[in-house]
Amino acid sequence: MAVQAGGVAESDVLSQHAQEYASAARRHRAFGITKGLAAYATLSIFALIAIVPFLYLLSPSFRKSYELFSYPPKWIPSSLYTGNFGTILHQTSYPRWALNTLIFATSVTVITLIIDTLAGYAFARLRFPGRGVLFGLVLGTLMIPTAVLIAPLYIMISRLPGWTHSGINTYPGMILPMVCSPLGVFMMRQFISTLPEALVEAARLDGGSEWLIFRKIVLPLMKPAIVVLGIFTFMAQWVNFLWPLIITTTNDMKTLTVGVSSLQGQFVTNWGVISAAAVMTMAPVIVIFLMFQRWFVQASMAGALKQ
Amino acid sequence: MADISIKHLVKRFGKVEAVSDVSLQIADGEFLVLLGPSGCGKSTILRVVAGLEDADAGEIVIGGRLINFIDPVRRNVAMVFQNYALYPHMSVYKNIAFPLQIAKQSKEEVGLAVGRAAAMLGLENLLQRLPGELSGGQRQRVALARAIVRAPQAFLMDEPLSNLDAQLRIQTRLELIQLHQRLGITTIYVTHDQIEAMTMGDRIAVLSEGVLQQIGTPQEVYRRPANVFVATFLGAPPMNLIGGELEWVEFGWRFRGDNIDVPLSADVTSPPEDGNPADMRQVKLGLRPEHLRIGPPGETGGIAGQVQFLEPVGSDLFLTVEAAGTLLQVRTDPDSPLQPGENVSLLFDPWRAQVFGPDGQNLRRDTAPVESAAALAPAAAS
Amino acid sequence: MMSTVSAEKAWDELTLSEAEYRRAGARYRQRRSLRAYLFLLPYFIPFIAFLLVPALWSIWLSFNRGGILDPAKYVGLENWRSIASDTELTGAIQNTAVYAVEAILLVFTLAIVLALLLNRYRKGSNIFKLALYVPLLAPAVLVGLIWQFLTNFDFGFINLALDAMGFDRLNILGSGRLALLTIVLAEVWRGLGFWTLYFLASLQNVPEELLDAARVDGARGVQRFRRVTIPLLRPMLLFAVVIAIIANFQVFDTVYVLTQGGPYESTSTMVWFIWKRLFQFQETGQGYAAAVVLLAIILALTAISFRVLGARRKRRA
Ligand SMILES: Nc1ncnc2c1ncn2[C@@H]1O[C@H](COP(=O)(O)OP(=O)(O)OP(=O)(O)O)[C@@H](O)[C@H]1O
Ligand SMILES: [Mg+2]
Repeated sequence: MAVQAGGVAESDVLSQHAQEYASAARRHRAFGITKGLAAYATLSIFALIAIVPFLYLLSPSFRKSYELFSYPPKWIPSSLYTGNFGTILHQTSYPRWALNTLIFATSVTVITLIIDTLAGYAFARLRFPGRGVLFGLVLGTLMIPTAVLIAPLYIMISRLPGWTHSGINTYPGMILPMVCSPLGVFMMRQFISTLPEALVEAARLDGGSEWLIFRKIVLPLMKPAIVVLGIFTFMAQWVNFLWPLIITTTNDMKTLTVGVSSLQGQFVTNWGVISAAAVMTMAPVIVIFLMFQRWFVQASMAGALKQ
Repeated sequence: MADISIKHLVKRFGKVEAVSDVSLQIADGEFLVLLGPSGCGKSTILRVVAGLEDADAGEIVIGGRLINFIDPVRRNVAMVFQNYALYPHMSVYKNIAFPLQIAKQSKEEVGLAVGRAAAMLGLENLLQRLPGELSGGQRQRVALARAIVRAPQAFLMDEPLSNLDAQLRIQTRLELIQLHQRLGITTIYVTHDQIEAMTMGDRIAVLSEGVLQQIGTPQEVYRRPANVFVATFLGAPPMNLIGGELEWVEFGWRFRGDNIDVPLSADVTSPPEDGNPADMRQVKLGLRPEHLRIGPPGETGGIAGQVQFLEPVGSDLFLTVEAAGTLLQVRTDPDSPLQPGENVSLLFDPWRAQVFGPDGQNLRRDTAPVESAAALAPAAAS
Repeated sequence: MMSTVSAEKAWDELTLSEAEYRRAGARYRQRRSLRAYLFLLPYFIPFIAFLLVPALWSIWLSFNRGGILDPAKYVGLENWRSIASDTELTGAIQNTAVYAVEAILLVFTLAIVLALLLNRYRKGSNIFKLALYVPLLAPAVLVGLIWQFLTNFDFGFINLALDAMGFDRLNILGSGRLALLTIVLAEVWRGLGFWTLYFLASLQNVPEELLDAARVDGARGVQRFRRVTIPLLRPMLLFAVVIAIIANFQVFDTVYVLTQGGPYESTSTMVWFIWKRLFQFQETGQGYAAAVVLLAIILALTAISFRVLGARRKRRA
């Protein structure tokens, strides 16, 4: 360990450098950590803003109505009261509404997926005169306000000439007018366009009819897009309000959103019951959403929405 | 198996004419290479033959059957794509079996055929893998297996080797040649790699901007390029071109230009009827780098020049020599003691020289123009 | 050799005459198109029946009186004249424009910031993505309930908070400007998750190598975002702007459940106006005329977006 004079000076310089380096690195890291903390704080705030109102709504559903307006307000119920849910289940047609909603949303989703993938394939990979015009037409209808369509649709469904029955209060009358979403066709076309064209061409030479190519080559590769469009459609229809409101008049044909909003009249002041109903409306979608969450968080929308 | 004729094919994309009046006659069992720079319309021709694009004019006849208006499915041709186009969600086995399963063959038949194709390409151990789990070379072999499994009338291959690394490319090239010899299926092979073209093709068709420039065996195309384009496109480094004029002097041609006055053989073009025809004034003399020899300065019949750069590439030495008012490439012995700045004269055998007229066409009489049926007939159908 | 000779004979003359060639080509392409139309048919039947026909029908009804519960009666331009001088419609257009500008700017700004953060800090980001998405799952009725709860004068969270901080309580849904702002916030709250995920997906489509190249070239964070990321995101942004315009100019649910257009029409949006004419006032013709106006406005704005955002791309290509 005998160090020469010159060596000492040199190693001093070196260690000084090392210290400077270390402290600079520490500063850099500290800066990085601060930035990271700020980022996560921001994200948390917005996540809370998104979630907390639901909890705010959840809490009355577990309380008796007279507890609600106590002052100072209590956020956490003193005891969990489940009677509101019982009221919903037993005193309203909740099960029937839920079944209607399930039938409605599922049917619209299934039909939408079938017709949108077929049309998307044609627009992306087949050649025919009028391709551009028809696709432009489909996109153009995106701009038609739903409110405009509602009244003519109502007339059509309620008394279309030649129909022996009115479509009001029937499943087909409810489902069919909701199945043609321009956005769905657009999504499917965009997604199929991102699949290598050579795959379809190879299959064409391998002897596949277009139908076979669609089923055996394109469809299996479209799974991410189909899942995303399926969930979007299902969720959108689950919460659809306007159309079921107009097209159903009997209690037995109502969907959840319509039924629950009618409760607002029935249980005017009972916020507990109303919020329990709202919770029960949302619960199924939340479950489905959580089941398929990886499709969302993996940003697989990327493929589906890619230009 | 069948012969293919492409007659006066025209294909346009909007205003761009990708293929202009191309005619090709491919014999049964022949291996024809389409060669040309990027964007010259090679893929387009292939895709029209396959039925993936429609011709705007012209006919495609395979095995005596006009197929322009037949669905791709029923043309019975197999195509190998540049990026293989394997079905990513199917195992290697299913990929190869796909064309047969569509054709509704029995399970045993399919199994046998897939086994045979897989054995031919050494894929037996990979049958259960997905394409994503294969190397580039393996994928390429799967694509080939899928093409051969249904015994098509013809193979269409669009730059099948271009995604492989250099070594694998050479190896797969050999395998492809062997495969073709074994199966003898008519093949149209697209590439822009001239080594591939020279080594694989029975004949080469050279294209530029949608126009067929020349078709012939690799030797013909290399030795007697039909025009300036073919001359400079083939060969690395390309053929040297020297501007000047031709003159008929005492029963032989002489080429005169800037600092150059050399005799050529009598057959570079037909002798003049009387006097020198006008179009002999602006011609180009073409000499391949390997046909130029280095001699001492002042040699008679040589071109005087000065060495500028040396580029040793191991097996050869490439010289850049300033001569005849331009820079000429010369291929020579790597052990040559030449130094930059040295004066030399360049010598060549007159019969190897090509002369191109003002329109860029080779003036030599035995270079048949492209249009003639003689040039289009397969030279040596193997 | 035989085959070569025979093929040679066929060489000069083509097999088909020009007319035959053209006829055969047309037949071939027709068959191919027919197959394509079969793929489109299942979509286009409901498309025509439930989208195109109702849309055209409403244009026709804008020249009529009645039509929903009673037979339509042609009245020419009467409806158009009456909405042209209707100050409520001008108000609604103005409200819709103010709302849309505020909502789109706010939600895009927030969504892009959150997407950039989520893209940079990926650890645990799934939780945030899920949380942000939840409001989209809420039925409009529920959104209404939540925001009524939040803004209620007596027990709403906002007023309790103001109270606690010593400020005066605000009658939020009772004052015009604040009511419209509430609609904006409610819709932003609802859409933030969707747009964040949308922009995140777009960001993740920017090839990593390009950003690396920019980093090596010495571009700093902000510069990198402006010079590399934004131009690459331009097509995604165009799509986002168009969709956002289409959706936000049709804002309705929130108005319906929160304010019913009030107070004093200060939150009356275009679709609310249309809705009222159609289903409350029985002035269906006026409703349809207003709907056509809305359609025209959306079309014009979409065209402008394409001009502004699409142009640079074309020049570059
Ligand atoms: N689908 C298309 N639409 C428009 N133009 C096209 C299309 N396909 C090819 N072209 C044009 O036709 C010409 C020939 O293209 P082609 O793909 O046949 O070239 P290539 O010889 O195969 O080139 P490469 O060696 O780069 O593959 C090019 O100018 C190209 O831009
Ligand atoms: Mg090509």
